[in-house]
Amino acid sequence: MNPISAVKSNWRVLLLVAFVGFAVVALFIPGGIVADNSVAGNESLQDNPTNLEFGLGLEGGTRLRAPVTGMTAEGIAPDAVSDDGQVDQNRIDELEATLRGDGAEQLGLEPANASVHVQDDGTVVAEVFTDDVSDAEFAAALQSADADVSEDDIRDGVSQRTRDQIIETIQTKINAAGLSGGTVYEQTTPNGDHYIVVEVPNMGSDELRTILSERGVVEVVAYYPTESGNQTNETVLTGDDIASVDPPRQEESRPGQASQGYVVPVQVSEEAAPGFQQQMNEQGFTDPNEGMGRCSLDTTNGTVDFDHENEQYCLVTVTDGEAVAAHSMGPSLAETMRSQEWANDPIFQMGAQNQQDAQSLSVNLKAGSLRAPLDFGESQVYSIEAAHADQFKQYSLLIGLLSVLTVSGVVYARYTDTRVALPMIVTALAEVVVLLGFAALIRMPLDLSHVAGFIAVVGTGVDDLVIIADEVMDEGDVSSERVFQSRFRKAFWVIGAAAATTVVALSPLAVLSLGDLRGFAIITILGVFIGVLITRPAYGDILRRLLTDR
Amino acid sequence: MEKAYFGGLQEKRYMAYFDVPEIEYNRYSNRQLAAVPLAVLAVALLVLSGSFLVYGTPVPLGMDFAGGTELTVQTTASADEISAAFDQQPESVTGAGGENQYIVQFASTDSQSLREQAESNLAQDGDSAIVQSISSTSASFGQGSQQTALMGLVIAFVGMSAIAFLLFRTFVPSIAIVISAFSDLVIPLAFMRLVGIPLSLGTVAGLLMLIGYSVDSDILLNNHILRRSGDFYESTYRAMRTGVTMTVTSMVAMLVMGIAAFLFGIDLLASIGIILFVGLAADLMNTYMLNLSLLRWYKFEGIRS
Repeated sequence: MNPISAVKSNWRVLLLVAFVGFAVVALFIPGGIVADNSVAGNESLQDNPTNLEFGLGLEGGTRLRAPVTGMTAEGIAPDAVSDDGQVDQNRIDELEATLRGDGAEQLGLEPANASVHVQDDGTVVAEVFTDDVSDAEFAAALQSADADVSEDDIRDGVSQRTRDQIIETIQTKINAAGLSGGTVYEQTTPNGDHYIVVEVPNMGSDELRTILSERGVVEVVAYYPTESGNQTNETVLTGDDIASVDPPRQEESRPGQASQGYVVPVQVSEEAAPGFQQQMNEQGFTDPNEGMGRCSLDTTNGTVDFDHENEQYCLVTVTDGEAVAAHSMGPSLAETMRSQEWANDPIFQMGAQNQQDAQSLSVNLKAGSLRAPLDFGESQVYSIEAAHADQFKQYSLLIGLLSVLTVSGVVYARYTDTRVALPMIVTALAEVVVLLGFAALIRMPLDLSHVAGFIAVVGTGVDDLVIIADEVMDEGDVSSERVFQSRFRKAFWVIGAAAATTVVALSPLAVLSLGDLRGFAIITILGVFIGVLITRPAYGDILRRLLTDR
Repeated sequence: MEKAYFGGLQEKRYMAYFDVPEIEYNRYSNRQLAAVPLAVLAVALLVLSGSFLVYGTPVPLGMDFAGGTELTVQTTASADEISAAFDQQPESVTGAGGENQYIVQFASTDSQSLREQAESNLAQDGDSAIVQSISSTSASFGQGSQQTALMGLVIAFVGMSAIAFLLFRTFVPSIAIVISAFSDLVIPLAFMRLVGIPLSLGTVAGLLMLIGYSVDSDILLNNHILRRSGDFYESTYRAMRTGVTMTVTSMVAMLVMGIAAFLFGIDLLASIGIILFVGLAADLMNTYMLNLSLLRWYKFEGIRS
């Protein structure tokens, strides 16, 4: 037989061998087929003898699913947007004011808890991000500003834009916390509920929850005496006014003064800088004879203690409504502000009590505040220690091996002929290797549900091989190629039909967001396809070589 | 029937350790054959509806669907001490895979407080963290999952039925597949109620898998009887030889996986394994009694009318 016809008649087996080879490279060669190993240097990867990636359940970490707190009224003010798309900003502001104002019918919400914006399709959306307001109050407040809305138009949840902003903020927050590999995404249930899902490897559930429950609204408040001598508070900078943030560092101690803790150097935006400078000058912070260096507020238990006797000129850092640090104006900063030069290079240091606070302040400034809080009462949490996850990894490998051994044993017991049984087992295993290679190639993080999928693949795989073997060896000799082909085709009809039902049965799981089961469904469906297209035809070829007289 | 089935391999005598017995079907009437699986199906439906009337759900709902918290703790404390360590009475405390590991379930969803209680009240086992894993689902989230799971099952079943009708394009053989698949789902569900296995994401996956797996042997049987020439009983025996091998192989594999996973404390794999084992056993009965009697009726009587 010449080489070309040999290849021709065995191409199915060769295809399987090629796929297995490909899979082995993808699995075991570091970097493998994916040349751009973007996560190189990640330690957990280097410990791993294969290129497989593992999900939370087998690697350790925390996953948290929670909806966003808030409610929404859509399409409330058709008058605010003209037909050509011009937005009447005054009208929007008016609507927003009714949510924030303190008048009758109005809601008196913090600015962070209310929002009105125009969506891409030109409809106006009002949202409140708190549970303290009822549907009726929300509707009444909007009606008082002549909005076109009734109580029935109010729905739970927030707008797409808000969810997108939240996802972006959380992503920045967990990246800034120095956690690589964390992911944030949105999940929508079939009945239209939206959940924010946060997955972070190597982090406990309480730690993640602390990060997520902090809203992270940062403000700088000037605390100073007015002309009448009473101390007053005025917000002078908000998180939006900060253009860039440097990593936190320990404050340099000034002559004659003990170090006051940590600071986060920030650059104030060009728009906000002149106003801030002017306010500081007017309020007397920069005057060496008045406010400069005159802040002696102490902190107890992490909050600033406002009990004092002398007049105080303090710049107070407020996070989520809580005063966390109070600092005085330093002489050099005061001088540049007095001379109006500061606004040209508006660098400023925000104070914090300790390194941890400074770190979280820096993160909050960088990530911005969470647009709306997450509703932990409706959440789902899964968290597993790395050690325990590692145990699961070993156990599931063991369970997989046990299942394969069992299947091999039964198949051997049934046929008692290694010429039939051995290729069957080897082919079924090849299917798993190809699938594993594929998982490594696309960097699919494997979890327990995927393991169940792999075992299911071995099961369906062997079932189909049994069908092929029985059909082909049925009714006497398989002497000619033609007889073999016709029987093989008959067997394939059943296999195709069975594969179609398995795919149909599992496809809802692959699409619906039903927790951890997606991986199981995806692996099983992929396995069915690889089986029908590659491994089963190859097994047919192997069997033919063994059975026909060639 | 003991002729040479093995063609080219005939020189080696066919001596399997397990062989599929040939059942003398002609000794039983169609009614007799169908009575057993139908009676089992009726009992299963009775169990489920009774449970629905008494408990409000046909099967007990697990944490994934009813809400609650599950902790895996590693501690030198005994199971009783673990129960006493929490303000809330645990629903259950069971040993998990590793030494000194326990799975503790609560109806409460305050995972933070449960974690704190575990960490402050339980004795540490060496250097291991006390709380090895924690998973918590709120009742409303579980409610949503319930609807999603039910929808998934219905879509899968309807899709499977549609494929059955597409493949055979005749009413009786197609409906025979659909009825046995339905029974294959209902019997394990009733089994879950009787044994007290709660419905979890894992068992739902098992049930969906069952829709795919169990139909294979039905398709094989229908295919051999309807699309092949030859004697009815000979075709049946051939289909059975292949089909029973398939189902028994899967059953044994699932049993091993279920038991091993149960011993190791991996719930997801244990429930998939057990559900598939029971469902496939039911499938053996449904395929070779119910489906077969319908096919025989169709082939010998139905086709003429």
